[in-house]
Amino acid sequence: MTLAEKLVEELNCEEVFTLHIGGLDIPVMESVVVTWIVMAVLILLAIFLTRGLKTQNISKRQAFAELIYEKLNAIVGATLGEEGKAYTGYLVTVLLYIGLSNIIGLFGFKSPTKDVNVTAALALMSIILVEAAGVYHLGVRKWLHKFVEPVPIVTPFNILDVFTRPLSLCMRLFGNVLGAFVIMELLKIVVPPVIPAVFSLYFDLFDGLLQAYVFVFLTSLYIKEAIE
Amino acid sequence: MINISFWSILWTVVNLLILVVAFRIFFFKPIANIIAKRQEEANEVYARATDKENEANDLAAQYEKKVAEAESEKKQIIAEARKSADGQYQKIVADAKDDAKSIHDAAVAEANHEKEQIIASAKKEIADIVVEATTKVVGSKTGADVDSRLFDEFLGKAGE
Repeated sequence: MTLAEKLVEELNCEEVFTLHIGGLDIPVMESVVVTWIVMAVLILLAIFLTRGLKTQNISKRQAFAELIYEKLNAIVGATLGEEGKAYTGYLVTVLLYIGLSNIIGLFGFKSPTKDVNVTAALALMSIILVEAAGVYHLGVRKWLHKFVEPVPIVTPFNILDVFTRPLSLCMRLFGNVLGAFVIMELLKIVVPPVIPAVFSLYFDLFDGLLQAYVFVFLTSLYIKEAIE
Repeated sequence: MINISFWSILWTVVNLLILVVAFRIFFFKPIANIIAKRQEEANEVYARATDKENEANDLAAQYEKKVAEAESEKKQIIAEARKSADGQYQKIVADAKDDAKSIHDAAVAEANHEKEQIIASAKKEIADIVVEATTKVVGSKTGADVDSRLFDEFLGKAGE
């Protein structure tokens, strides 16, 4: 198998099985299955961490859970501000999901975020949340008025923003994960033994988590802009 | 790799919504609840401590008041005692003085009485002696009336 074939095989998202529901053929892709694994890991971890919570004499497990809770809320809440507090739950969840999806490649799975459909779905949800938050907080009239701010001439660009923002979110995440993956695969072939491990720290771990943060940071920034 | 698949997008959206709900139920809610509960407990403990402090301050004020009262009562009692002791002292001294005076008076009276008695008895004795002596000297040649005259004469001289 040539390098190109190997790469393509790694990059392709296979269909794992097909669900037949009332005449509909619903394909289930690899990325969806790995997403389920990620979800299962996250939910089990959450259940494990929040078992037997107490108010006093807390266990190390609970201290860790509270630390994660506080830190993640602080990270997301810092950009969201007081008004957008309601959206921290969603954004923290997305942060954890993307973070774990990006580094799950280390455990031999194909990262779901390497499938453009997953990042597209994430970006779609982000932009829907952003616009919904804008309508919810400002009302339809003010929300529409935001499109002619600060001057009416920028209205086309503001409308364009609604599409470019999710597109950039989607492509940034997908491109970074894909790029990191390709570079790592090449490094593994060119300088096999130790060096890829060192670079893996950056490309798999750091970049994966960083991209998760960037995605959530930008989404929270958009939400903040929308609800102001 | 870049095949847009409607189903994958839908799957991911559904998955994500499920994950968000699950996280809300299993992670955010319990921890937020426990933190709120702890805050409540802390507030309760704080309120209780404040109450206790106020109570203690009240008690301290009460005790201080009581001590001050006891102090003034003590002063009053001591003053009264001093006053009554002074009166007692004066009385005792007065009594003693009275006693001394009456004893002194009695002694003086007795002494005077005794003196008079002694004088009286001495007069009588002297008279007897004089009578005896005169009788001896004069003998029987003079009568009783002479004796009496002589005696009176003598008494008159002796009395001067």
